[in-house]
Amino acid sequence: MSAISELSSMSRRKGPVTEEEKRANRRDNKAAYIFLLPWLVGLVVITVGPMLMSLYLAFTDYNLLQPPEWTGLDNFTRMLGDARLHNSLRVTFTYVLVGVPLQLAVALLIALVLDKGLRGLPFYRSVFYLPSLLGGSVAVAILWKQIFGTTGLVNQVLAMFGIAGPGWISDPSTSLGSIILLHVWTFGSPMIIFLAGLRQIPNMYYEAAEVDGATTLQKFWRITLPMLSPIIFFNLVLQIIGSFQSFTQAFIVSGGNGGPSDSTMFFTLYLYQKGFGQFDMGYASAMAWFLLVIIGAFTAVNFIASKYWVFYDD
Amino acid sequence: MPLFPRPATAAASGAPAKPAKAKRRLRATAAVAAAAAAVLALSACGGPAQSSADGKVELRFSWWGGDKRAQVTQAAIAAFEAENPNIKIKAEYGDWSGYWDKLATQVAANDAPDIIQMDEKYITEYSTRGALLDLSKYGIDTSKLDEAALNAGKSDDGLTGIAAGINAATILANPAVFKAAGVALPDDKTWTWEDFERISAEVTAKSPKGTYGAAAYGTDEASLGVWLRQNGKSLYTSDGKLGFEPSDIAGWWDFLKQLSEKKAVPSASEVVEAEAAPLDQSGLATGKNGLAFWWSNQLPALEKAAGGELQVLRFPSKTGKAANTQLWYKASQFWSASSRTKHPEEVAKFINFLANDTKAGEILLADRGVYPNSEVRAAIQAKLTPADVKVVKFIDQIKGELGEAPAPPPKGAGAIQEIIKRYSSEVLFNRLSTQDAGTKAVDEMNSAISS
Repeated sequence: MSAISELSSMSRRKGPVTEEEKRANRRDNKAAYIFLLPWLVGLVVITVGPMLMSLYLAFTDYNLLQPPEWTGLDNFTRMLGDARLHNSLRVTFTYVLVGVPLQLAVALLIALVLDKGLRGLPFYRSVFYLPSLLGGSVAVAILWKQIFGTTGLVNQVLAMFGIAGPGWISDPSTSLGSIILLHVWTFGSPMIIFLAGLRQIPNMYYEAAEVDGATTLQKFWRITLPMLSPIIFFNLVLQIIGSFQSFTQAFIVSGGNGGPSDSTMFFTLYLYQKGFGQFDMGYASAMAWFLLVIIGAFTAVNFIASKYWVFYDD
Repeated sequence: MPLFPRPATAAASGAPAKPAKAKRRLRATAAVAAAAAAVLALSACGGPAQSSADGKVELRFSWWGGDKRAQVTQAAIAAFEAENPNIKIKAEYGDWSGYWDKLATQVAANDAPDIIQMDEKYITEYSTRGALLDLSKYGIDTSKLDEAALNAGKSDDGLTGIAAGINAATILANPAVFKAAGVALPDDKTWTWEDFERISAEVTAKSPKGTYGAAAYGTDEASLGVWLRQNGKSLYTSDGKLGFEPSDIAGWWDFLKQLSEKKAVPSASEVVEAEAAPLDQSGLATGKNGLAFWWSNQLPALEKAAGGELQVLRFPSKTGKAANTQLWYKASQFWSASSRTKHPEEVAKFINFLANDTKAGEILLADRGVYPNSEVRAAIQAKLTPADVKVVKFIDQIKGELGEAPAPPPKGAGAIQEIIKRYSSEVLFNRLSTQDAGTKAVDEMNSAISS
């Protein structure tokens, strides 16, 4: 049941509505809109306006310095033949399809450990959440760059064992992996949500399973996972949407150019380069709308697929 | 799908008691006031510089560069403001890497700085699109300026940039690295590219791990430009096309690969990492490279970062004759102005001060290259630091050896450096053959400058 249907059932009332009540309702509505005004203004000015503008720009040739020129579907047909764009899609899909499941698996694992009722749980919870607060930040991306540099911490440790590590971030074969690792490391927010979800599973199921002699693994597969599936679904949707849009980490780690050799050229990074670096804002706008379609499609598939694996208790 | 179901009581609780009419009106008024305040706050941020009621004009001035440049430029601004109490200059500065993205956005938002430090790679782009002011209409004295430097800022769109300095492509040497390796510094009047390779490889071999004889080229168009000119080609032609073929740039990469194989230059990974490092942490400044490719005006800042003396060298040539190095004088950067500035007169006054006033020269010295104004150059001679003197001397020395002035970079040239960088790493990581990289790079460059 959605929040909207809950609300509408609340507003349904018995008995006829008097004139006085109607007027009072209208006044209440007016007050509500006035209270909403600051947010509405923000939404229209900062979000909807620019979005509509970018939709228009997507069909134009716009170099930022001169007024846009209508070119119809030209930007979209150009995208078909743009090899760097195809590469950026490949990079982004790899990041999402590898990074998101890995991150959620780690988040779930840590949540399961923390849920065992360990002493000082709030402390550990905070510690594990910390990377999520920091992970998207510029400072951590810079730190990452140092740790995984040719003479960074990782290679210094490897050197102790006589292994000469590559330049993790500066070698095109390992650079994307390093950024995925950074993403996995920021498992905190899905972890917190998993923890909350685990707390909601009634203990009686486990007790009953124990009476029947179920093993820990069986309990996990037969009780925890199905009961947690709505939460997994929620995390999956959020993380996929977020990952498609991720930008900061690749921008900082690669020094803004998606390098080496475009190996960390995320779709968003390429979009940024086109729009702000190469005076091709019309094309960049078209890319942004294409990304919206991709994310929309992924989310739709997610929701359709959820019918087959997400289990609702109620 | 209630993820966090609300307690039953919250959903069931009825409407709150109705407040009295007067109270409600008060509440509505407060809400309107709050909303109005929020809207005002929103509209208050941003907006171009404007003159205030007391007749004071505020101008915004943006440049790229490091700490040293920020210090001297701020001092020059202060000197100008002292002479012109009704003009206030607001400085906006940052690194090269973010400068152009920011400028493009500001111009698009009709929020361009009034005075803009411009580069030759972008000046055509901005000029042809009408974003820069034609400075010739505002009485800036150009009579003392070096003619070649002055012409670099002229185009069909008028005089859209006044050269701030003259510099040249150089190789800078860190003598400390050579001394530690026990290798003699090369003689830049006679050295060839083979000497460059041999000497660099020798320094690497005799230095501790992680130190290399030379930094790799392949990260910008200056070193490519020199190479092409020595081979009878050029980066661009005078009609705004590429001046070379895929095979020319492939030859440049072939030699780079050879340098890399002989360990004369750092490994591919280290090259990529070095690209991102700011000047202060460059291999030359940190003593990790014996030789590196820089513009002449960057020597003082690099010496400061290295904490020791550096030496300016000519590029090697194919023939071993200094006369064949084919260097050229470049306008290091330009003073330009936004075509939408509300105060073109004041802007011109400030640019005139920077370009022609000895006071500005005494403060700025050679940070942006050798002064194009001959009078200022002579007047500040005594004030130059030893590092500045080295730069000025070098520029004077090569005067007789210069090649033809190169054609100005066409519109879209801002994208070329990134393409060179990207394909250089494709080549260094052995992901593409030099021939394939050449073909692809030239394709991309052609479409960048033709669009």
